[in-house]
Amino acid sequence: MNKIGITTTIPAEIVFASGGAPVDLNNIFVTDIKRSEYVEQAEVEGFPRTICGWIKGMYSACLDHKIPKVIAVTGGDCSNTHVLMEIYRMRGVETVPFNYPYGRNRQSMQSELALLRDSLGASEEASERWRARLNRIRRKLDMVDLLTWRDGKVTGFENHLLLVSSSDFDGDPDGFETKIDRFLEEARQRPEIDAPVRLGMIGIPPIMEGLHEFMEMTGAHCLYNEVARQFTMPFGGETLAEQYLAYTYPYQIGPRIDDIQTEIERRQIDGIVHYVQSFCHRQMEDLIFRERLDIPILTIEGDAPRAIDARTKIRLESFIRMLAQRKGAAV
Amino acid sequence: MNRALTLGVDAGSRQVKLAIGAGRDIAFTAMIDTVQFYLACRDGGSDSHNGGSDSRNHGPKSGRDLDIYRLAQLAGAPRWSHVVSTGYGRNNVAVAGGRAIPEIMAHAAGAVSQTGLSHFTLVDLGGQDTKVISVRDGMVDDFVMNDKCAAGSGRYLENIAATLGASLDTLGQCWENPVKLSNTCAIFGESEVVGLVSDGASAQSILAGANASVVARLAPMIRRYRPKIIVASGGVAKNMAVRKLLEIETGVEVITPAEPQLNGAIGCVLG
Repeated sequence: MNKIGITTTIPAEIVFASGGAPVDLNNIFVTDIKRSEYVEQAEVEGFPRTICGWIKGMYSACLDHKIPKVIAVTGGDCSNTHVLMEIYRMRGVETVPFNYPYGRNRQSMQSELALLRDSLGASEEASERWRARLNRIRRKLDMVDLLTWRDGKVTGFENHLLLVSSSDFDGDPDGFETKIDRFLEEARQRPEIDAPVRLGMIGIPPIMEGLHEFMEMTGAHCLYNEVARQFTMPFGGETLAEQYLAYTYPYQIGPRIDDIQTEIERRQIDGIVHYVQSFCHRQMEDLIFRERLDIPILTIEGDAPRAIDARTKIRLESFIRMLAQRKGAAV
Repeated sequence: MNRALTLGVDAGSRQVKLAIGAGRDIAFTAMIDTVQFYLACRDGGSDSHNGGSDSRNHGPKSGRDLDIYRLAQLAGAPRWSHVVSTGYGRNNVAVAGGRAIPEIMAHAAGAVSQTGLSHFTLVDLGGQDTKVISVRDGMVDDFVMNDKCAAGSGRYLENIAATLGASLDTLGQCWENPVKLSNTCAIFGESEVVGLVSDGASAQSILAGANASVVARLAPMIRRYRPKIIVASGGVAKNMAVRKLLEIETGVEVITPAEPQLNGAIGCVLG
């Protein structure tokens, strides 16, 4: 299958229907041993220091992994992607735009999906067949999530890693499904995680390493990864248009906050960690979350793919201890 | 004081603060330059000076454990039986035989103990960072810390004063007619000062501008808690001009505990 890079979650069903295999450039960047070099390499080529590390990492990873074509999300994610597309083209990488219509309008979404199908040479019927196929895997990921927050069998990092992988299904849905099946079987046998504090994480997937692990070392179970869960399309939908209109991340923030509030209550979350990326416009969303969500929020910022620093540890520890004190629990 | 004593260690970025006491009774305090502290502890030393009757290992540890007992020889401290530490270094460097608590908790406990208040907003102005902690019923309710750089911190003020050849005492008197400083970066702030001097600004107005810029950076962090009383701690809380500008900016009374810089170490004694 032809590898097709993606800059964030897009309708992967259409890529598979075209005979291609989506590769989430974020994933191949941040899991590569050369992840730090990727960022430096982009800076050497002239990417400013004041541009998000994810953009720089995706740029270098795409070239290094020789991905010939990239679907770049031009609406609903990150405006830096527009220029990233220009630079990709300058380097000989073919680019295909995909736009989440800001107004969340059904007709606009249908026409965006049609444009993507035409660009990739996929039929509507085949794309919908792939929706049904991938839905089977998506619902297994719901089970991973349930085992995380309801049963306490899955760690926050495992939850993050598996759910975030539903942007591209590792480019191999069959292999990915087998991996999930095995994981579920093993996880069900585990003892329940014993952590006095129940945390949730909102915001884009963190670039730094060891965040979830540190929370768990400090007495908190992270049992909600907001955006990773949204990648799984938890609300489903009868058509691709419905499914991607129900996805909360690319549009206005209201429905996203409603989703977060519902999950805070359902999962009995004690506190929220809001991850923000240095130089990302979404940092401003912190102001909105703090005003709209009635729960303790800790905001942490990351810039590069490296282990979390002492300052972040101090903040997390203090936050977890504060939440434990409120509950009268010891950590 | 016959009760078992606790040594509180607040390992800050500029100074390591020590307090020894039992509960709210503090018997001994000291401050040591952070680099000197790490060098002295790292080099190890005799374990003969201090320690309780238990079998804790008092000797220098390998790796990054600190020999706190070596330190006691330097500071001439009384005997203690427990060590509680906090501060920057504590995630990287363990104090031998000690228990570590988060900074936010230590500072809140110190301020509750020193002021006798239970509802207040604590502003800890340190060498490299700033913490604003909302305390309710004597417990941490929420907190916020400044972003990663040392902008608007004690180190920034030190640099500006040093650039102008002014003492920290002089800096602490300057709050009137502040010039507008656009850059609170601890490094680039210096070149801005040079530019202002060459434009004819007085040293007092530049120092006042530096103090005002620290307060301007702090104000949004404080306002989110709508404080009725502000307690200021940390080295910068000794700066009268910053306290005064903080009162003007927020319209709220600013209280300084007896030992603002030792607040975290005192909190450790309680912790």
